[in-house]
Amino acid sequence: MNWKKWGEPQAYLYVLPALIPYAVFWLAPMAYVVYLSFMDWDFMNPVKAFVGLENYAKLFTDKKFYSALRTSLLFALGNVIPCLIGGMLMALLLHSKLKGLAIYRTLIFLPWVTPMVAVSIVWAWIFEPRVGLANAILKFFGFGGLEWTQSPDTALLAVLIVTVWKGLGWTMVFYLVALQNIPEFLYEAAMLEGANKVQQLIKITLPLISPTTFFLFLVTTIDSVQAYDQINVLTQGGPAGATRTLLYLYYESAFQRFNVGEASSVAVVMIVLLAIISSLSMYVSRRRIHYI
Amino acid sequence: MSATAMQHKTKRWTFATIKYVLVIGICVVMAFPFFWMFSSSLKTNDEIWAVPPILWPSDPKWLNFIEAWEAAPFGLYMFNSTFVATSIVIIQLINSSMMSYALTHMRFPLGRMLLVMIIVTYMLPVSATYLSGYVILSRLGLLDSYAGLIISNSITIFGIFLLRQAFMQVPKEMVEAAKVDGCGHWRILWLIMVPLARSTLIVMGLLSFITMYNNYFWPMLITKNPRLQLVSAGLRSFFIEGGAYGLKWPLIMAGSTFTILPLVILFLVAQKWLIKGVSSAQSINK
Repeated sequence: MNWKKWGEPQAYLYVLPALIPYAVFWLAPMAYVVYLSFMDWDFMNPVKAFVGLENYAKLFTDKKFYSALRTSLLFALGNVIPCLIGGMLMALLLHSKLKGLAIYRTLIFLPWVTPMVAVSIVWAWIFEPRVGLANAILKFFGFGGLEWTQSPDTALLAVLIVTVWKGLGWTMVFYLVALQNIPEFLYEAAMLEGANKVQQLIKITLPLISPTTFFLFLVTTIDSVQAYDQINVLTQGGPAGATRTLLYLYYESAFQRFNVGEASSVAVVMIVLLAIISSLSMYVSRRRIHYI
Repeated sequence: MSATAMQHKTKRWTFATIKYVLVIGICVVMAFPFFWMFSSSLKTNDEIWAVPPILWPSDPKWLNFIEAWEAAPFGLYMFNSTFVATSIVIIQLINSSMMSYALTHMRFPLGRMLLVMIIVTYMLPVSATYLSGYVILSRLGLLDSYAGLIISNSITIFGIFLLRQAFMQVPKEMVEAAKVDGCGHWRILWLIMVPLARSTLIVMGLLSFITMYNNYFWPMLITKNPRLQLVSAGLRSFFIEGGAYGLKWPLIMAGSTFTILPLVILFLVAQKWLIKGVSSAQSINK
């Protein structure tokens, strides 16, 4: 055995306990789902029929697919942008030497800890069109009530409100830590140079928290594409497909219509999409991100 | 005091007031759904349908909680969630420690490649593999079992990153010194590395526990037996069947309350750790 080249034999033993489940439940399914996307299968039939690219051909001519793609993108934008901006603003606010920071932080972070299914049920009750709290508040301010989850126009908005509400605390805590890590002397130097607060924010704070922004962008995007619980509880992809994201389309074709081929091709599209987004943002971050 | 100084002081005061009003406003909005859930769980069916909504019932019906608890096997659901999440956390802590140790303190040239591969897959949607994962799990005969729930979740890529970061902070000299004293890798890992990285391990365990306790999509796919349901799936079936889709909102809200409660308590007890740990989490991209 050439030790220099292959390292310590023991090392292989040490990685196995994690590597085996990783191979069986991450790598193998990744490869297997690509394989299944070239097949026609219904889970039951002992024979899988090879159909080549037919599943993709069908998918790319299906209106449902494009509507799901659009919903997924809208959902991702509608989740990532408010979470990042809102989280950052809240962190800036909390960072400005307020009394009782710990209490505010706890309250804002709390939704993240609780089960998505449980809080979605609570929000389903808040969005109830006749007596729900959301409409009561709208009416109090003189607006008309909305149908929320029961109308195709507002269903996605309702699901997004729940998602952003739950995710804000997470992004805020990350930004808080990033802000605390910025050395105080940078601000002192900037003040000596005569920079005002806005200039300090743009020239010091934003560049120095950009690694956090990058990290949160990536994580929140990955989470958005995979959002399932809240859609399942609040709208189940409806009404009229208004909240059917790619993931939900994939779920329906796999586990409700048992069309494994179609579902797998949607899964592959999701994987490719995220791979593109991840590598693009990695590329941008290599060139633009500043580290302390 | 001069006029400008006065002006300055008033300006600072207004500024501070605006800030506090904003922060408290945000907190109220963030926390209100929880208050609303709790207050709704104490209402009678008449009160809950009242227009405009009643903020707090005049005569809180605490019995709703007992009725909800008996309407569905919530005790069993909570046991399932706790048992499955705890087992997963223990396995993850052990296998991630071993892997991170091999990656940071052993001569292991392949480790670099392994790490890159893991980073790449971390950025892909794991739920895209649920379909094929389901087929694989059924071939292994692990559908509808605690073993399947636990084993299929027994790896945490996020955790391996966190731990690798923590283990890298341990000076090589310390490990070398231990080796000179006759310690093998096994003892160095459990007697030196793990105690030194304990805060990271606690954070990782907490995050994993919360995620797994709340887990819904994957466990729901791989278990059909209602007695194996975790809290999320259990609550959801209660919402649809027992709650008759919104006819028994007070009971549904009571169910949601005691589903959420253990996590809120856990969070309040452990939040110092959780929030501290977040700081180390984001160094993943470095």
